[in-house]
Amino acid sequence: MMHPGLPPGWAALVGVAVVVLSLRTLVALRKPTIEPQVRRAAHSAPGTIMRHVTALAPWLLLLLKIALVALFLLIVTAGLFGTPIPERNLATALTWNIWWAGLILTIFFVGSFWCAVCPWDTLAGWLVRRRLVRRAPTNNSLNLRVPRIIRSVWPALLLFIGLTWLELGTGLTTNPRATAILGLAMVVMATVSLALFERKAFCRYFCPVGRTIGFYSQLAPVELRPADIEVCARCTSLECYHGTDRVEPCPTHLAMGRLTENTYCTSCGNCVSSCPSENVVWRLRPPSIEAVQNARPHWDEACFMLALLALAGFHGLTMLPLWEEAISSFARLVGDSGTLLLSFSIALLAGLAVPTMLYSGAVAATRRIAGIAVEYKQLFSGLAFVALPLAFTYHLAHNLGHVVRESAGIWTLIFNPLGTGMQPLSVAEKQVRHMDLLIRPELLSTLQAGLILFGFWVALQVLRHRGQRLLPGGVLAGFTLLPMILLAIAFTGFHLWLLMQPMMMRL
Amino acid sequence: MQRYKLFKCASAAAANNTPFIDREEKARTLCGKCMTIVLTDARVAQVTKLIIVVAMLGWCAPTPAHHVLGRPAYSLNEDSNTPPSMQVEVQIGEYLISYMVFPAFPRPNVPGRINLYAYHLDTDEPLTGKVTFKVREDGWFADSEEEVIGTQLPDDNVYRQGFVFKEDGNYIITAAFEADNTPYLVDFPLPVGNTTPIGLLGVVIAILGAVLLGVSIAQRKRLARAKVRTARQADTLDARSSNDMGEL
Repeated sequence: MMHPGLPPGWAALVGVAVVVLSLRTLVALRKPTIEPQVRRAAHSAPGTIMRHVTALAPWLLLLLKIALVALFLLIVTAGLFGTPIPERNLATALTWNIWWAGLILTIFFVGSFWCAVCPWDTLAGWLVRRRLVRRAPTNNSLNLRVPRIIRSVWPALLLFIGLTWLELGTGLTTNPRATAILGLAMVVMATVSLALFERKAFCRYFCPVGRTIGFYSQLAPVELRPADIEVCARCTSLECYHGTDRVEPCPTHLAMGRLTENTYCTSCGNCVSSCPSENVVWRLRPPSIEAVQNARPHWDEACFMLALLALAGFHGLTMLPLWEEAISSFARLVGDSGTLLLSFSIALLAGLAVPTMLYSGAVAATRRIAGIAVEYKQLFSGLAFVALPLAFTYHLAHNLGHVVRESAGIWTLIFNPLGTGMQPLSVAEKQVRHMDLLIRPELLSTLQAGLILFGFWVALQVLRHRGQRLLPGGVLAGFTLLPMILLAIAFTGFHLWLLMQPMMMRL
Repeated sequence: MQRYKLFKCASAAAANNTPFIDREEKARTLCGKCMTIVLTDARVAQVTKLIIVVAMLGWCAPTPAHHVLGRPAYSLNEDSNTPPSMQVEVQIGEYLISYMVFPAFPRPNVPGRINLYAYHLDTDEPLTGKVTFKVREDGWFADSEEEVIGTQLPDDNVYRQGFVFKEDGNYIITAAFEADNTPYLVDFPLPVGNTTPIGLLGVVIAILGAVLLGVSIAQRKRLARAKVRTARQADTLDARSSNDMGEL
């Protein structure tokens, strides 16, 4: 079955708004930028609720972890022993239709909270440390340092590309057994990493899902930060970093006093429990503040963000009806046969290379127009944050379509997770599911168009603020950032076009 | 005739009339005096049941019909035109090949059928030559000897091959044909019956067990070495301090 695309009227509206915003930004670039100030929500109602939640956090987290581990084991059981019909098996339906699509939606509200309750890491922790809550003795792990060569996000990026290859190239999403095996493989990797390396090296360096969540949560409206930065400045014991007798240290080597970005925070709450001054709290903030201002640019992270942008678009492209024809023609061109994995792999590499080359070209053009001696690598890393809102909002809009249109019927799987005695979906059932949306289609279109526009607006903010910081001396008075703005317009246009096309159902 | 104490309608109450109904006519709820519907005990019970049923219907998810064009999907077999099937499509050389298995999940000792369609990608012409179907076991340690199931000619552009498997297992069906002087071999997986992956779970558990055991042994050795080292250092310090005392 095909999902209808975004109505052209909405796309036209977004297009007009994109042009207006671009012109407004070009005019605004003539004035010096005032750095946006973070408005704290310490005394607001959500802030009060969050403080109460934080106080209960260890027990709430434990309960959630137990529930999610139970669900994960059910998914593995269903995948290994249940029906191979993907839409009748809990493993495929819940993993790919609900979790994988919904995960991105949760980041929009609660940032990297998923990492705090991730069943892969929970199971690894229980197996290696053999403790539910309190700090485990150090002799359960070899506590080796991660080799310097892989202390970056490159391993996670390679695994993320591999995951995309498995998901889209080999049809993993329609194979319950392969889905279960993938889940088990993640548990094995997390366990081996925890047993060999200090703290949680898997979460910090290897986990493709965790790193994706980490980068996207730069745009989340919540953050775990010190209530009073002066308290952290006076602190000499650094319990948040080292832990206490009862509480584990920060799993990703973060010291709260110097924390400025969500990227590596797993929201585990260890710092909240260990801080003797009770100075660590959840806070609300403007969603774009980190990508616009706080996050520090690094070469490997810039490449990860660009890969997110490239893979988000590639993902959408593979779900279009024209994809099959295109890949079939390409396969004949290169002499590929069978399931066309070679052709798909080449297309995936091209899907990664083209956006990266476009971005590299835009950065080079910006540098040339600016006419000042800024190192290319510095400009490349600094402006790469523009990819984040574009990728995140398209990913959100795309996944929203999946969740809204494909969640129907999931409750029947809760009562029969293995799909025992079930037949493939009949045409009538597919039709019923197709018509049974979680929200009205008009509202879905509004949300999708709004998200794309929001992403473009944040991208412009990123360019404006980071551009002025990277290219000092009033060089932005002209059209210095025009190539980057055109790039943002091009990606927004591409994402709008993708959303306008009919999209194939995942299962 | 037995009278029932019922809810009074306004007119009946004003006229001080007590509505009544016959035992045989419980369902009729008119008071008989003012022609206003009176809510009898029986009607109250009926309305309550109706509310419960409506609430249950509202709570339950709508159930789609099991019939497509009047045919119950669950009673079809491999001889039907539209039984449930598993379908695989591959592109090989100049041909697009569709492969369907009936029933969708074959079981041992139950007859099944393979349907194979082959079309030229450029001309859309169906394949007309013979197709030979072979089978072998799938798996790393499986017997790789192939057995020919049969050779088929197209019937209305479809190559049909029947089969009966005697044992559960994962099999590979190979369809072999020749077109434009080029030999074609296409492999399709075919799981038959219950093929639970106990071996896979065993591998996962073995990896986890080996890693955890290895780390535990390595850590114990490391701790033991640290203890010995500490004890030796303490002995050396004691010996030095006693020598110093002796000299004094």
